[in-house]
Amino acid sequence: MDGSNGLLIVDLLRSGIRLATPILLAALGGAISNRAGVLDFALEGKMLLGSFLGILAAFWLHNSYGGALVAVLAGGLLGWIFAFFYLKYKVDLVILAIAINLLISEGTVFFLRTFYGNVGSWTDASIQQLPDIQIPIVKNIPVIGQLLSGYNAIIYASWILTALLYVVLFYTPFGRHIRAVGENKEAAKALGINVARIQYFALILGGGMCALGGAFLSIGHLTMFTRNMSNGRGWMAVTAALFGMNNPIGVFLASLLIGVADALAVRLQMLTTIPPMLIQFLPNVLAILALVLVGLRNRANVALIRRKFSLKSQKISEDGKSEAIS
Amino acid sequence: MALAVEMTGISKYFPSTAVQANRGVNFSAESGQVHALVGENGAGKTTLMNILYGLHQPDEGEIKINGKHVLVPTPNEAIHLGIGMVHQHFKLIPSFTVAQNILLGIEPHKYGLLRQGYENDMVRALADSFGLPVEPSEKVSNLTVGMQQRVEILKTLQRNAYILLLDEPTAVLTPQEADEFFKVLRNLAERGRTVILITHKLPEVMKVADQVTVMRHGEVIEVTSISDTNINSLAHAMVGRNIVFNKKESHVRPGEVIAEVKDLFVSSNNGAAAVMGVSFQVHKNEILGIAGVSGNGQNELTEAITGLREVDKGKVLLASLDITKAAVHERRKSGMAHIPEDRMTMGLNLQTTLDENVIVNQYRQKPYSRAGFLVAAAIRKLANSIIERFSVASAKTGEGIATLSGGNLQKLVLGRELSGNPHFIVASQPTRGLDVGSIEFVHKSLLDASRSGAGILLISVDIDEIFSLCDRIAVLYRGQIAGVLSAEDADEQKLGILMAGGNLDPAEEMTQ
Ligand SMILES: Nc1ncnc2c1ncn2[C@@H]1O[C@H](COP(=O)(O)OP(=O)(O)OP(=O)(O)O)[C@@H](O)[C@H]1O
Ligand SMILES: [Mg+2]
Repeated sequence: MDGSNGLLIVDLLRSGIRLATPILLAALGGAISNRAGVLDFALEGKMLLGSFLGILAAFWLHNSYGGALVAVLAGGLLGWIFAFFYLKYKVDLVILAIAINLLISEGTVFFLRTFYGNVGSWTDASIQQLPDIQIPIVKNIPVIGQLLSGYNAIIYASWILTALLYVVLFYTPFGRHIRAVGENKEAAKALGINVARIQYFALILGGGMCALGGAFLSIGHLTMFTRNMSNGRGWMAVTAALFGMNNPIGVFLASLLIGVADALAVRLQMLTTIPPMLIQFLPNVLAILALVLVGLRNRANVALIRRKFSLKSQKISEDGKSEAIS
Repeated sequence: MALAVEMTGISKYFPSTAVQANRGVNFSAESGQVHALVGENGAGKTTLMNILYGLHQPDEGEIKINGKHVLVPTPNEAIHLGIGMVHQHFKLIPSFTVAQNILLGIEPHKYGLLRQGYENDMVRALADSFGLPVEPSEKVSNLTVGMQQRVEILKTLQRNAYILLLDEPTAVLTPQEADEFFKVLRNLAERGRTVILITHKLPEVMKVADQVTVMRHGEVIEVTSISDTNINSLAHAMVGRNIVFNKKESHVRPGEVIAEVKDLFVSSNNGAAAVMGVSFQVHKNEILGIAGVSGNGQNELTEAITGLREVDKGKVLLASLDITKAAVHERRKSGMAHIPEDRMTMGLNLQTTLDENVIVNQYRQKPYSRAGFLVAAAIRKLANSIIERFSVASAKTGEGIATLSGGNLQKLVLGRELSGNPHFIVASQPTRGLDVGSIEFVHKSLLDASRSGAGILLISVDIDEIFSLCDRIAVLYRGQIAGVLSAEDADEQKLGILMAGGNLDPAEEMTQ
């Protein structure tokens, strides 16, 4: 492989990482909710809220970091509202998600039109994009430096969150409680674990992370808000969470895969004569394939769990006494 | 002796089902004793224990633990008070290990991180100190039911439970596992722990308990010590009448062959051979029992016959029609009925209404559907006739069934399965978890069905059930038929030998 090809690949990966970031953040948020037993289909709406409020707050505060922070808080609040309706009033999760997704996508348009007289998009020259940060030492390592350094703070935050969530989920008592609640709520409750508190926590955290992913779009990647800016990324995030088995590391890899496919699609559009529609479809095909895989695995798992847990299938042990695996 | 638990005047009404589940109940248990709590399905036993464990709040009444007035608003508080509960349905996290399950909610940690190795040591030490060995690092989903139960008990002991509430703990155990389990209970009582045991099996009560409280319709009917009572008087107190323990009476001469299994091979889910070359015939008017310790291929055999599992080799015939590969609905159409082992997950759909549950086996047929539409009136009529004929108490057409008691749920299954006058009935553990009154009812229904011409295959690990119903008994051992005995020839000893893999031929026994 000659130098220019190598450069091309580093370039592809860099833009893949950028494109993966909003999906990764939302998918991590979705994964933690899923782990707590709440399937969150409102990732799309929560992201869009982050994009919208992120840039508005950046404008008002004259500070893009402030904008990102406001987005996170607003996402957390939305997560809390979601949890409140789900846990207190037992609203069906799908209905709740549809309501939130619609409310945010129409609400942002309404707000833009009323206050800025504008329907399609909004920006202001005073808004600063989040700056890219070079990591000392790392940036000087050939290739690795190019791959790992020179991104904005939200991208680094997404990596740190991935690692942090992984440790919390699998190596702390709290994380174990989250998994216990997700797998068997009744069992956790009977041992005095506060199921509602854990689900509140997961949804608030998840909402905050989704919104941060959204803010990345409006103040990290571009400096504008456009109508329906999340544009299906929330659904991609749902896919990435499931494909990554709700394991932060797996979610990271799944999101990266989608991001790189996205970046590849962009490049193919520029370089080839394949109809752009077809190419733009590439990440979606990938998502569908991923979901098929997830579906197949789940079916295998359900069969396994059913065999082991409820149907009381049986196994004969070596010593001649029989044992029930249930 | 000191009272560990004293509940006075406990009342509980469930508005959602309009049931007075407990009515002025006085219940007490002495420390260091095994106290049995018996009563019909729906008598209010579980409700009473749920109140003691803080899962329900009583409308009225007081609770004293070790002589002190207490309130038990939550399970957490119950745990603080030294109360532990093992529920009718286990509450375990399948993907967690034994140690992770036992220590859930009280994990030891250092710098905020879990200490997996130390957890295993803790659990091993606990298990050893009570003589209840377990492998702490084994995943719970890989354990036998008996071992899962042990994990549940260790869970309460780890939380220093001095009062153990056990809700029908033996319903899921094989007789061998149950015997082992009773030793554990006696041992715990000897160490000063108080055990409250809900069960339907009166012989168990006689064997293991010191005291017994009998409930009926939400009230306490009788409190007595075991030495002052016997099975018959307990059964009488439970249901308010004498129970006839059914015996198969005059043997009807069995008619022609209704169903036949020929050289059947079936694999278990993990691919291992579970049924290996099983053949038998079931005749008209006959009840053929499949006895055996659970885990010897009963499930795979049942599933293969009823169409829930693929057959590797061999044939299943129904009235000389080859149904080896037939779909479930085709089998049912040809006259097969199936009473599955687990009424909660396989027999019924608890999320839907009674009406939908009674027609799932025949919703495509007239008069319940016409031109692709369900006929509500016809369905309601069927539902009502089932409720009446099978006296499904407190059930109403058009309403949910989630809150019906186990006995009533099983009556509903029976009603549905028997209402089409099937030729061939596959009944798998049809009385698991039922009270004596309901068992009597189920047995009578099956005997009636066989008398009116059906052939019945009864798969059960309960030897008493096999003896009281069957004309012939086949013993399944390691996926093969170890022997077939006629009801007259069979006795407990012979069956026991076959079930344990022994041989009935004395000559061969000598040479071994
Ligand atoms: N959570 C609930 N909501 C409404 N009704 C309930 C609830 N729990 C129990 N019931 C009703 O209260 C009555 C007593 O039920 P309970 O479970 O205490 O009986 P049980 O003696 O344990 O019966 P079984 O032997 O079948 O377990 C039943 O009629 C049942 O339908
Ligand atoms: Mg009960």
